[in-house]
Amino acid sequence: MSKIKSLFESGSFKSAFIPYFTLGDPNYHDSIEFGKTILDNGADILELGIPFSDPVADGPVIQRAAARSLKNRFSFDEIFRVTKAIHDHKPETPLVYLTYFNPIYHCGITKFLDRAKESGIVGLVIPDLPFDTEESETLFRELKVRDMDLIHLVTPASEKKRIQALSKTSSGFIYYVTSFGVTGERREFSVDLKERIKFLKDTIRLPICAGFGISTPEQANQISQYADGIIIGSAIQRVIEENGSDKTKTVTALADYISKIRASIS
Amino acid sequence: MGKNLPGYFGEFGGRYSPEILTEALEELESTYQKLKKSKKFKKELEYYLKNYVGRPSPLTYAERLTKLWGGARIWLKREDLNHTGAHKINNAIGQALIARFMGKKRIIAETGAGQHGLATATVGAMFGMETVVYMGAVDVERQNLNAKKIEMLGAKILPVTAGEATLKEATSEAMRDWALNVSTTHYIVGSAIGPHPFPTIVRDFQDFIGSEARAEFKKRNKKLPNAIVACVGGGSNSIGMFHAFLKDKQVAIYGAEAGGLGPKPGEHSATLTYGKTGFLHGTKTLIIQDEFGQIVPAHSVSAGLDYPGVGPEHAHLSQTGRVEYRMVTDEQALDSFLEVTRVEGIIPALETAHAFHVARDVAKDLGKKKDLIICLSGRGDKDVTEVLRLLGERK
Repeated sequence: MSKIKSLFESGSFKSAFIPYFTLGDPNYHDSIEFGKTILDNGADILELGIPFSDPVADGPVIQRAAARSLKNRFSFDEIFRVTKAIHDHKPETPLVYLTYFNPIYHCGITKFLDRAKESGIVGLVIPDLPFDTEESETLFRELKVRDMDLIHLVTPASEKKRIQALSKTSSGFIYYVTSFGVTGERREFSVDLKERIKFLKDTIRLPICAGFGISTPEQANQISQYADGIIIGSAIQRVIEENGSDKTKTVTALADYISKIRASIS
Repeated sequence: MGKNLPGYFGEFGGRYSPEILTEALEELESTYQKLKKSKKFKKELEYYLKNYVGRPSPLTYAERLTKLWGGARIWLKREDLNHTGAHKINNAIGQALIARFMGKKRIIAETGAGQHGLATATVGAMFGMETVVYMGAVDVERQNLNAKKIEMLGAKILPVTAGEATLKEATSEAMRDWALNVSTTHYIVGSAIGPHPFPTIVRDFQDFIGSEARAEFKKRNKKLPNAIVACVGGGSNSIGMFHAFLKDKQVAIYGAEAGGLGPKPGEHSATLTYGKTGFLHGTKTLIIQDEFGQIVPAHSVSAGLDYPGVGPEHAHLSQTGRVEYRMVTDEQALDSFLEVTRVEGIIPALETAHAFHVARDVAKDLGKKKDLIICLSGRGDKDVTEVLRLLGERK
């Protein structure tokens, strides 16, 4: 059984809290501290972003984070080293990567997966790799061999037929995109969010976690009433953007924000 | 799966875009398949191409260039004579008609040199559609005349300041806008790039270039040309020119890509020479990237060629060897720009100037009594200020 599956089946929380941040912003050394802080203050699963030069599914906050990160010398060695350090701090918390497909493809799928697994990664989210591609099928197969998960995105525009087809090569959980557009904080969500998540739960036998746009404890609380998990990225990245040059201040601000969100969904 | 699916050209192409766009791409594909068979749509498209764009564009015999180069006879397919001054309008009209059929009232576009932005703003004005054009802030500067025209036509220009602030970033931003407004908006992709079905749709709407050139040349000369040449950035004018000739094995086909300042990464846009297989802006194609799969910024003197990817069909044609792609530096393109202007009285776009440079070599190699057609993809009025600046630097 995959680590993510057993976590959701453990019943240790009502709704999982899944924070995200981009590795290497403002530098790889501080990323380790940020990762440890987020884990210590209540992440159930942690999403680590591998920066990509052209993140088309991301809004301005995460785009800027990727650009800042890429000013540092990028290397997979550095990514895996930092990941391992975060993993070693709290090995029981599942870590997943969020990245675009081109860097993985370029690294080589099997090489990437072997090294990611060694570093403590248990799943992947790839926003520009639709499930119905040859590459996604290969990736799913290779992940399965390693007991790792391929977490697919489902959106408000996804039709039933596609959702049903997607469930065949999907594992871990479903990343439900709460609204149209790219990542970034929002004031409002689509009116039928609750119904849509219920529909997904009935259609796919996987936990449904909601992301894209969630930033406040109130929003997290409200959506956690019906979603199996809450994913927050841009709001966390904004904390790093605003305080990143001062590591101590960032760590304090992150601890405060993460613990508030965790408390709101317990 | 994969290679045999529609939307792939050999191993290249496909649909690698965020899930939020999938339904819109599927709607676009099914609508296009339906319209392609519709006589009414064909008639409507032909009506606008004839009466608004001015098609068919003529095939001009370039007598003085032929004499000067001393080789094959040179013919020019005159896309510069289209309304708005380039081939881009062919595709913009076609896609605007699809958008109208789908009930989308808003159109968006990305643009490098501004020609596609201008074409989109033009059809937006003509069909009364709200139009937004994403343009890199650097390109807004170097292609200021087109930027001003786009605004004058009632479209909104949104300058993109991220990254290198050129075509790559403008394309990413247009994709983000589309993801947010997908139910009301059609994204008129300007080159034969992007997720399926865009490379096919753009190719089909540009196919008029090659089909017309082939038919007219044959009618006038009772044979086919020996070679054809076009410039390649994303590759829409070139695939439009090449497609009708692909099965004519006796016709040699050449693409001219931007060699920029030299072979170092970041100094050129020569994707077919230096690119490696990868995934960018929704398609699997050749891309200029570093050892970690990060996209390397492109450079070209011509904003329209300044893109680190290329249409997937070109990647395939390069791999199979059907088309030979050659690099042309900024300096060589500038020289050809001046030569064609002075010899033929035609100011070509800097993009097209790359094709002229390759054509000169090909014409010499072919020798006399052979025939060569160059796709003159657009006129260079937009480039005059930039060319004057570059000539100033040369002094």
